[in-house]
Amino acid sequence: MTTPTEIAVERRSGAIVAHLGGEVDMTNAGRVREELLASVPNEARALVIDLSACRYLDSAGIEVLFDMARRLRRRRQDLRLTLPSSSPLKRLIDLTEVASTAPVYETLDAALDG
Amino acid sequence: MARDQGRPHRDELRIRARQQEAVAGLGQRALAGMKLEHLLDEAAATAAQELETEYAAVLEQTRDGRGLLVRAGHGLPSGVLGAVLPAGPQEMPGYALQSEGAVVVEDFGEETRFGPTALQREHEIVSAMAAPIGARGRHFGVIGVHSASPQHFSPDDAHFLQSLANVLGAAAERARHDDALRDSEARFRELADTAPAMIWTTDERGLVTFVNAGWMRFTGTTLEEELGATWTLGVHPDDAPALQESWDEALAERRPWEREYRLRARHLGYRWIADRGVPRYVGGRFVGYVGTAIDIHERKTMETQLARGYEQEHRIAEMLQRSLLPERLPDIEGLELVPRYLPASAEAAIGGDWYDALERPDGRVALVVGDVVGQGLRAAATMGQLRNAFRAYGLVEASPAEVVARINRLVTSGVEEAMATVLYLVLDRETGEVTFTSAGHPPPLLVAPDGARFLDGGRSVPVGAADTAVFREGTALIPPGSSLVLYTDGLVERRDVPLGRRLDDLARVASPPERDLDRLCDRILTGVLGDRVPADDVALLAVRPKPVPLDRFNLSLPADPGSLVVLRRRLGRFLHAAGASEAETYEVTLTVCEAAGNAIEHAYGPEDATFEVDAAFEGGELVATVRDSGSWRERRSEHRGRGLAIIKGLMDDVEVAAEDRGTVVRMRRRLGEYRAA
Repeated sequence: MTTPTEIAVERRSGAIVAHLGGEVDMTNAGRVREELLASVPNEARALVIDLSACRYLDSAGIEVLFDMARRLRRRRQDLRLTLPSSSPLKRLIDLTEVASTAPVYETLDAALDG
Repeated sequence: MARDQGRPHRDELRIRARQQEAVAGLGQRALAGMKLEHLLDEAAATAAQELETEYAAVLEQTRDGRGLLVRAGHGLPSGVLGAVLPAGPQEMPGYALQSEGAVVVEDFGEETRFGPTALQREHEIVSAMAAPIGARGRHFGVIGVHSASPQHFSPDDAHFLQSLANVLGAAAERARHDDALRDSEARFRELADTAPAMIWTTDERGLVTFVNAGWMRFTGTTLEEELGATWTLGVHPDDAPALQESWDEALAERRPWEREYRLRARHLGYRWIADRGVPRYVGGRFVGYVGTAIDIHERKTMETQLARGYEQEHRIAEMLQRSLLPERLPDIEGLELVPRYLPASAEAAIGGDWYDALERPDGRVALVVGDVVGQGLRAAATMGQLRNAFRAYGLVEASPAEVVARINRLVTSGVEEAMATVLYLVLDRETGEVTFTSAGHPPPLLVAPDGARFLDGGRSVPVGAADTAVFREGTALIPPGSSLVLYTDGLVERRDVPLGRRLDDLARVASPPERDLDRLCDRILTGVLGDRVPADDVALLAVRPKPVPLDRFNLSLPADPGSLVVLRRRLGRFLHAAGASEAETYEVTLTVCEAAGNAIEHAYGPEDATFEVDAAFEGGELVATVRDSGSWRERRSEHRGRGLAIIKGLMDDVEVAAEDRGTVVRMRRRLGEYRAA
């Protein structure tokens, strides 16, 4: 059994939206980071990671989010997250204070509006 | 030369024995097929020798019955052979011809019944004996012995001569048959040669005795080349062995024989012919075969081409279907899954049956069994498309009716028309809840511990039957220990028995309790189908949720990152079954996996290191323990530090202890409410 993950990337009003579906754990976090980085061109103003279809995220996944925020900041690009409050991941995201480095929005539209 | 009267008794016996031996010898030679004229010669010589007379002769009645032709003789003067004597009863041969047995004349001077022939007179014959050859009314002639000196003929002598005559009679009769046969054979060949067909005959040993002009026109051979053991002459090497074998078999049992094979034709290469022979009998005696052959090359090549095309399509469809049907279904945690596929007879076209199973993101399992209407390559291709469409929609859509509706939209909007019956079912392994839609498909069978029954509801039209269609859902709660059996109608459809009764049979066969799901499938297939090869393909999918231990969870896994996904699935089921919410299940699973992640990173010797997870409820509290064989070390990376923070943040209480054999992380969490922040 391997950990199933899908990333769907789309471009919306100058930002890149990456829908991160499935599960992220220590076995695939490295690859997820590479794919996310590769999906952001230099001229994009922001990367929005949509976590609404993400069903599992562990500490390695949280680490990816922090790392992404750091790297994008160096490129003068924003990292924003989308997570509905009904998501099982909600407490984890709060607990790890991800919002301190990447703002978390309830909906994708809100995230795009920045 | 002449024997004295009053011979000693011992001589009599000796003579009689020798005479009997002579008769037997002649009989054997007659049976062995010795030609009649030789038999006649030998009989004359034997008679003269054994009866000690100067002359012996065999006379044959002429065709008009008025004369007797001298055909053979012993000691006859030249010119006698070939002479014709009168056959009237006033002379000895004619008299003997009409008599019942041998006629004896001891002295012609005293004979009053008849007179001697001119020949007898001329040679001054004193004593003579003559016996009729052949049965009364169908006489062949007479055999006689003649002596110029007085001669005594005993009753044994008379019996001996008559015995010789009897042997000749039988041989003459046989010769007459053979002649008749030869005549009819000659007429037959004449006719055969003018016939347009190919005709042949054999003798009783199966050797070719004749092929007609039509045969030789076809093959370009000569009659000489064709005669004898020439069964495979000119026959295509691929066809020859089987032809020879079938011919030998037919001949041994004297059965009619029939065969289609390729025969070399003059100028034209090999051509297919249909050849057929029947045994011939003459006077009840088997004499061989007569056969005819016709050229069927055009028909045969067309058939072969059709067959080749059909075979090819069959092969491709089979290959396609095999590649589309999963070799094995995915391992789904907590579910036993046994698929079966029974193709219809090899000659039948490939059907479009399929089965599939997948685990949905919500933890439920989607099962599908379907049957595309039609057969062959197209049905197999459509099956592949539908199977994939079900996988795709099944992952996205939670509702079976919605999944089937989407497939229907897909099919009806397609270019090619297709129709399929489908049973699509979603099963919650923990609660036993099933939701299903049956699009024109036979109902799913529930095999509960107390017997088997069909699940009602969810009946809808087949997929592709209408572009405005309503798809409904049926629901059921399956008791613990139950199995579900999904199948295609090849299992239950049979022209000679109404569907209702076949379904009853299926439920009856499946009812007795069976722990082994494989054996349940075997029992269903043999019980319903028997020895019958199904007329249509049969796909069968049996599933059984594995019982979840409700009070305690224990799992030992290799210290390998790949173990984490297994742990998540198994622990997730345990928690879900215990009534934990989705968020609680995630949080507990995450913390246990974080602890396990530590165990994996710290494990010694990657070869056989393991970690063990224990979980149980104590009061309203879940106590989870992760035990490894390494020692807990301080964080080296930032995310590992984060890992411990996560464990502590999401659990009510965490305790890390170094024990004898390794590190133990013990965590507690109250379920049913969030810990106060």
